[in-house]
Order: sequence, then C-alpha cells, then structure tokens
Amino acid sequence: MKAFFLGVDIFLCLMVFLCLYRVVFGPTLGDRIVATGAIGTKTLTILVIIGFLYGRVEMFLDISLAYALLNFIGTLAAAKYFEAKGEF
Amino acid sequence: MLRSRYQDIIAQTIVRIMVPFVQIYALYVLAHGHYSPGGGFQGGVILAASLVLIFLVYGYENALERLKLATAGRLCSLGVLIYAGIGFLCLLLGGNFLDYSRLAPIFQVSLPRARSLGILGIETGVALAVMAAMYSIIMDIVNSDTGNGESHAAGHEIENGETSSDGK
Repeated sequence: MKAFFLGVDIFLCLMVFLCLYRVVFGPTLGDRIVATGAIGTKTLTILVIIGFLYGRVEMFLDISLAYALLNFIGTLAAAKYFEAKGEF
Repeated sequence: MLRSRYQDIIAQTIVRIMVPFVQIYALYVLAHGHYSPGGGFQGGVILAASLVLIFLVYGYENALERLKLATAGRLCSLGVLIYAGIGFLCLLLGGNFLDYSRLAPIFQVSLPRARSLGILGIETGVALAVMAAMYSIIMDIVNSDTGNGESHAAGHEIENGETSSDGK
C-alpha cells in the first residue's frame, strides 16, 4: 500500500510540472490563474499522501488545510486584481 | 481598484460562510501549537488571512469598520506587552526571562502546568501582534495604490494618514 501511495505521489509531482508549463507559457491570464489553483490543489493532495507515508496524517492535515486557505485567498486576490485592471 | 467591493455574489456568500471557520481554525492552530505544526505566529497569520479575506471581498472601508488601523496598532503593542510582560514577570519572581516555572505559585498549579500556561500566554501575545502587523501592512499597501479610478474622496487619504500615525 505504501508503494502505491509513493507512486501516486511521484505521479502527482510530475503532473505539477505540466501545470507549471501552463503557468509559464499560458496564452491568457485565465489559464495562468486556473493552473496556479490546480498546482495548489495537487500540492495539498501530495502533502496529505506524504503524511500518510510518514504515518502522521493528522499533522500534515493541519498544514494542508492552511495551504488550501492561502491558495483560495491567492486566487481570489489575483482574480480581483486582474478584474480591476480590466484584463478580463 | 483593489479597495472596491467585490461585485460577485458567489465570492461574497462563500467568504461570509468561511470567515468564522477560518478564525476558529486559527485559534486551534494557536492553542494546539504544542503538539502539532503551528503556534503563535501561524495562528496570527491565519487570523490576519481572515481579515484580508473580508477586505478583498467586502471592500476597504468595510474592513476598516471592523478593525481600524489605530486599533490594529494598539493590538500589536498589546501583543508585545503580553509577551514581554510574562517574561519580565518571571524575571521579577526570581527566575530567568521567560522562566515559566516561577509562575506556578501565582496560578496555584503544578510546574508542568505552569510551563504550558506560560507558553500559551506568550503565544497569544505573538498571535495578536502578528495579526495586527500583517493587517496594517496589507491595508497600508492597498492604501498607497495610486492607480486610475481615484474617485475615492481625498478626505479618506487624510483620515487614514491620521489613523496610521495615531497607531504608532
């Protein structure tokens, strides 16, 4: 079971790079914001799986909750900023 | 600009539901810092994040109504006072700075309990100071925003300048 979750973790890490490509070369700002949110969500899952691998899920759940909150605020702030600049 | 209200009913509803839970979570991080990742600084940052959430969605003036910059400055000083006060109280009682075991006779508790309570006390002070400082920094950055659409009355600039100098 641990090997399976390790494989899932490595796979998600590789997927992050695909999202990173969209963030760097994304044609529009919407692509970049959505890709940033997706990276945040993947990071959250990776954190919980790392917690499972280390056998301390409850600690990593705290970290991932805080990460999800900051990710939400970041996306909201970026959306508001670009809306105010009239880019959308 | 960034100071205005977020004209989106989804964001407003979500934030109105989320903010109390975020603040409860911040208090959990603060109080549970002995056993899990977290503590005063992290709890304060999450508390400040809830205020920033209110500011982002409900607008600059609405956030200032909830916590004025002058009040934030006083809260910041109060946090440092709690931290230093507990430290010097231990010093006055004959221990080292932040030597919590000396607080045991005051609270009428055992030594380990006194240490735990002392750490919780200084973490509370740190959380207050960090929350107020983060909030003031964000609000000052936004207030210095000189983009177009400056239809906000110039009176606000003067008023905010007064409160921030008052807070120091």
